[in-house]
Amino acid sequence: MKLLPFDHAIRNLARSPRRLILLVGGSALVSFLVLGAVSFSRGLTAALGASGLPTNALLLGAGSEESVERSEISPVASEALLASVDGVASHGGQPAIAAEIHVALPAQSDNLSEPTPILVRGYESGSFLVHPQVRLRTGRWPHRGAPEVAAGPEALTRLGNVEFGSTIALAGEKFTVVGVLDATGTTMHGEIWMPVELLALVTQRTTRSCVVASLNADTASDSILATQDAFDEVEAFAATRLDLEIAAMRESDYYAKLAEFLAPIRLLVIATSVLIALGGALGGINAMYAAFSSRVREVGTLQALGFSRAAIAISLLLESLVACTTGALIACAVGRWLLHELAVRFSMGTFALAVDSTAISAGLFAGILLGILGSFAPITRCLSLPIPTALRT
Amino acid sequence: MTANARTSSELGDRAWIRARALRKVYHRGSNEIVPLARLDLDIARGDFVSLMGPSGSGKTTLLNLLAGIDNATSGDLWIGGNNLAEMRRDALAAWRAREVGIIFQSYNLIPVLTAFENVELPLLLSPLGRRERAKRTMEALVTVGLGDRAEHFPSQLSGGQEQRVAIARAIVAQPPLLLADEPTGDLDRESAELVLELLCRLNTQHAMTIVMVTHDPRAAARAHTRLFLEKGELVRREEVAL
Repeated sequence: MKLLPFDHAIRNLARSPRRLILLVGGSALVSFLVLGAVSFSRGLTAALGASGLPTNALLLGAGSEESVERSEISPVASEALLASVDGVASHGGQPAIAAEIHVALPAQSDNLSEPTPILVRGYESGSFLVHPQVRLRTGRWPHRGAPEVAAGPEALTRLGNVEFGSTIALAGEKFTVVGVLDATGTTMHGEIWMPVELLALVTQRTTRSCVVASLNADTASDSILATQDAFDEVEAFAATRLDLEIAAMRESDYYAKLAEFLAPIRLLVIATSVLIALGGALGGINAMYAAFSSRVREVGTLQALGFSRAAIAISLLLESLVACTTGALIACAVGRWLLHELAVRFSMGTFALAVDSTAISAGLFAGILLGILGSFAPITRCLSLPIPTALRT
Repeated sequence: MTANARTSSELGDRAWIRARALRKVYHRGSNEIVPLARLDLDIARGDFVSLMGPSGSGKTTLLNLLAGIDNATSGDLWIGGNNLAEMRRDALAAWRAREVGIIFQSYNLIPVLTAFENVELPLLLSPLGRRERAKRTMEALVTVGLGDRAEHFPSQLSGGQEQRVAIARAIVAQPPLLLADEPTGDLDRESAELVLELLCRLNTQHAMTIVMVTHDPRAAARAHTRLFLEKGELVRREEVAL
């Protein structure tokens, strides 16, 4: 089969700049939305995956396994666990265990007109051992008893881009930001941290939200299997200490469950994106219909000259593919530039959109798919006319 | 010049185009339209034939059948030993590319292509290399007197020039059969004369068989054989003694 030259397809695209813009724009919109939805989904999954370690055990209040913020356990639970279980790891003689409070508090700064809820974590010294993802980027950790906090960069952004050293208000109390923590890629990047005793005072609670313990590994490996014996001990502890009303799970499982819990939100984002993308796709297809319909006589002429329908269909398909792929490439470039690592806030804190190779592939695929499927009906219509009818059009 | 009322010639085995009981029927809703009722026709190789008749007499339908861009409802149509009625769509397309050049009333040039590229189109279907294609394309353009307009787009040409580009496109692959549908219909008198001169020259110098649909008696007068159709039937045939 002899094909029409590729550059004929390219030149045909330039015939109507308005239609070309519509087609490229429609494809770009579709690709951008798909890219955004996939970035959202992957960013959320990655943040939740990185926030919980499989080698950490989490003790939560029985019945509150799906939300650490709703969980309440006794402050003595961590000491009891440490006393009963050998499987808790230690670093430099200090046990890697921490009883923490996780609570969303209304936060206010001079840069905000209205308070905004931010997740605040009450930490102990063991918190730095069980959350190795967290480091101090600037300043220092708060002094015990002083009205001081350390905040993640996303939390500072959320507070209206307040700076290190500023004063913020949490639940009506004023605190100085003395440190900026870094936990890139995890939900902790958007949290505010203060000593657990201070947070208990601010929130007037005597209980803790959870106990996080780093588990001893049988081997040098950090795998789940290597810590299985230690985790079994923690589970047995939770099962036998009925007085504490606690449940044990791996920290990674908790975040995996949280991801499941957030699945409807993810679905909603994807569905909304698909619906808007459909609008863009219809705009693109409409432009293609108009572009191809106005060339029915030319198509008839090419057939009369001896070009096969398949050759003409391929040429029209190439036109559509070039336009839609261009739109998709633009969308991916803009998406990578605008969306990559863009912070998205939700009740758990924040996570960054991940415009990675998978998201870019999905965006490109959406554009190419639009180019193929979207051109199918216009091409079929264009080529379905008998040649004499097409020549009279 | 001799004129007679025979509806088919007596070419017998010498006929290069031969139609027998050719019939074309369209259905539009419950209506049956019969542009060609029953047609027997013989045309010799190298003839210059004009098809005349009132609107709706079946001229363009016959031309479409001869071009292989439409199928007869019944009957047989042989051109150069090929029975078009038995050929499948792809085979017909390949046959058209090899054997037929078509000139349309409204030129039908591709607006995004230059005159050169428009003329080159049929050669893209041939096995010729780029250099040979370029040579033949320029030859065709020179033949129609437009060697200096090769890089012009259709929008930069006059109607007469566009039609000459269309003729160059029709002859570039050197097909034995040239079909023209009202080739002078949209042209002024001067341009029409140029086009008719060109057709005559192609017929005499290149021995192309030409079938031309026309309403214009002056154009028809250039042909050696004049066929008159009415209500889908061949009612008269006039042959000019050369």
